[in-house]
Amino acid sequence: MATMTPRMKAWLEKFGAHIGTATKQGYPTTIVVEQASITGDGVVAFNLTPAQANQIKDNIAQNPYVALAPHAIASIRAAYQFKGPAALSGNTLQVTVKEIYCTKPGPEAALRLDVLPLEHIVKFEESRWRDSGPPK
Amino acid sequence: MRMNEEMLNSLRTIGTGGVVVHLTTCSAEGIPNTVGERFVAAFGEEHIVIADMFAQKTKVNLNENPGGVITVAQPVKGRHWAFRGPCTILMWGEDENYDFHGVRAGDVLREWGDWASKEPPSEVPPDIRPPALCQRGVITLKVDEVYSWKPEESGRPVL
Repeated sequence: MATMTPRMKAWLEKFGAHIGTATKQGYPTTIVVEQASITGDGVVAFNLTPAQANQIKDNIAQNPYVALAPHAIASIRAAYQFKGPAALSGNTLQVTVKEIYCTKPGPEAALRLDVLPLEHIVKFEESRWRDSGPPK
Repeated sequence: MRMNEEMLNSLRTIGTGGVVVHLTTCSAEGIPNTVGERFVAAFGEEHIVIADMFAQKTKVNLNENPGGVITVAQPVKGRHWAFRGPCTILMWGEDENYDFHGVRAGDVLREWGDWASKEPPSEVPPDIRPPALCQRGVITLKVDEVYSWKPEESGRPVL
């Protein structure tokens, strides 16, 4: 499991994510969930509506790996992508984050962050962004 | 599939009234990749174009699995759309007569191949503005299907 920084958690919790899923053959379906909750360092939970759960349940069953990109203003201020296996239990989608990438356009695009020690990731964030999370 | 007027109007950069969109592509093995994209526009009524500023995983995915989903999320304006269809990157150096589902590579590249000059990101705050904007080509998606991502009706066909 990857370790998420407080900044990552704060943006993701408040604004949720575009959640990319796919069949095993790579046919994609994206849903948007506008809030999340973080349980532990690298587990993100989303409460889905029945329609959302129904839309992705077959994909998750055959191919649980998903991608998360922060939604709304967080897509600009929190340029991260999180990837990992997901499990759907009822209407709760729980994602265990295994990979974290910076998606800021330019030379740092696709830089993998979870392979760095946590203090290095935090330093990276502090040097790139002025905020430590969304406005209260 | 033809997009309607409201959809076409939504596909603009933030500085001109649009919103960041999200592009999902997948590897051949089905590993998805979802990223926010600022430079977006409609090309005609059936295609969506996005600047390819060295979107590395996106390029690898599209080379092996040429399809994608673009989500437009602007709920306050009633915009809850996901556009799905074949997708590729038309790159500088491509045969300009190459036809991708009804658009010519040369036409797309001439109009959108130097996005930063045409629509510079002047409204982007300094701490999130890219230090340099280098464009390799234009990600192009042919809209075959539009569904709603609105939570209570997610997946419902829109057009």
